[in-house]
Amino acid sequence: MSENVSVNATNGVTTTEDGVVVLPKSVVNKAMWRHLITLQWSWNYERMQALGYLYSMLPVINAVYTTKDERITAMKRHLSFYNTNPYIGSPAIFGATVALEAQKEAEVVDSLKVGLMGPLAGIGDTIIGTLLKPIVSVLAAGLVLGNTGLEWLAPVLMILASVVAMATMFPQYWTGYRQGINLAREVSAGGNVSQFVELATIVGLVVIGGFIPSILGTTTGLTYTQTVVLNGKAGTQTVPVQATLDGIIPFFIPILLVAFAYWLIRGLKLNTVWALIILVVVGFVGSLPALQIFK
Amino acid sequence: MGNILIAFVLALWAYIGIVLLLGPGVWFNEPLVSGLFTGLIVGDVHTGLVVGATMTLLGLGQWTYGGATIPDYQVGSIIGTAVGASLGGANNAAAIPAGIAIATTAALLMTQLDVLGRATTTIFIHAADGYAEKGNDRGVALMHLLGQLPWGLTRFIPVFLAVWLGKDAINAAVAAAPTWLTASLKTTGHMLPALGFALLLSMLPVRKYWPYLIVGFVLFAFLKLPLIAILLAAAAIGGLVYLQQRSAQVNV
Repeated sequence: MSENVSVNATNGVTTTEDGVVVLPKSVVNKAMWRHLITLQWSWNYERMQALGYLYSMLPVINAVYTTKDERITAMKRHLSFYNTNPYIGSPAIFGATVALEAQKEAEVVDSLKVGLMGPLAGIGDTIIGTLLKPIVSVLAAGLVLGNTGLEWLAPVLMILASVVAMATMFPQYWTGYRQGINLAREVSAGGNVSQFVELATIVGLVVIGGFIPSILGTTTGLTYTQTVVLNGKAGTQTVPVQATLDGIIPFFIPILLVAFAYWLIRGLKLNTVWALIILVVVGFVGSLPALQIFK
Repeated sequence: MGNILIAFVLALWAYIGIVLLLGPGVWFNEPLVSGLFTGLIVGDVHTGLVVGATMTLLGLGQWTYGGATIPDYQVGSIIGTAVGASLGGANNAAAIPAGIAIATTAALLMTQLDVLGRATTTIFIHAADGYAEKGNDRGVALMHLLGQLPWGLTRFIPVFLAVWLGKDAINAAVAAAPTWLTASLKTTGHMLPALGFALLLSMLPVRKYWPYLIVGFVLFAFLKLPLIAILLAAAAIGGLVYLQQRSAQVNV
């Protein structure tokens, strides 16, 4: 190390020639693992991920600030409200704020957290909620319910997908840490975020459109009778409604069921619990052997 | 394994599953994965996978946006699998439908406990405020780490009690059920994913982008393409829209 680099003997924090504070690798790693393993352990209605964020930042706070008063101020700052997607988004935000907290840029850190948690939650929730989870869930469930003989593969697929998603948390953190403030500029500059969410939505909708009939196979057992003339003799014939429906549009009952459930949620604005109860009651009554509306 | 030991192991799995979700997001708490684990413990993997797959589909689109409470399909699939397996699994036509019915009910009841758990953790952040004021970083750290207890215990306790004490009572009730009841339950179980899809769609701007939904439907329902082909087509359509948007930007 050159003479121009000062070393704080007690905590290993160094300062370069141009005044940039460099944290020891062990502190940066410790902060990363705390964020990765425990961010939401103390999730609560009031300030959501705030305490987890502070816990992850504590190694940095203790390394950078030497007086008790400074540490108290820093701890109180990080106890304010924070919530974003913990898997895609938060590692990058956290990495950037670790780098900036080391420079004692308190105001920049606070505004970065507030400014980025919204947009990145939008990206993270879309990737996971609209793309990753539905695609993996339907593929996996299809392996089980479709009698493919490969049902053991389903949970393996799910665990693998989640491990792959977890693996992206490391580069997110290190990119955030190295880019620091640049990251904030990139995200807040861009129509990139909304364009990405739009593309993900489009892909998601095509997939969902195909997955609905692949999973839902409900049919109807209803029949109607019609008069037919056979060999000059009039008679009656029982016709299954399902055969007629299949001739017009396949998977008609599944479309009807999803539309009905969608109407319960969006039209009647019912919450999940009530929508589920109503669907179960309608489904159960409709599938009684005496009625056979559903089969 | 004795009943109480099985109950303990399954309860521990539920605890670990939720804590992992709160951390790195490894999906041990996914109903399908929990169904497999429960199936392995009670010796009926097939029942576990079928109950778990149904619960996974029911949970489609139910992402805890901003911390919303959703039914707990993990706990549902653990209890439902334990019940379905003890009724004979694939060897008894009533077993798996009954397991799915129990799983759905348990998942719904769990919403109350989820709210309780999320509310209880507020105590810890208030205690952490106090420790931070005094500059006690160890106290702050401890409060955070203890935050997992309300989350984990609101899963551990119901699974433990339901599997240990509830199973025999549920089994007796199901054994007495007539066939028309179990037949209807089975059909109803197959309909549950409709709600999962509807919830997923309600999160998306369907009114604006409905043509894409129809494209996907036509690919499967009329052209009978396999799911992987639909995934690829979806990616290609996304790519085309992106290219078109980019050239539109350049031309301006």
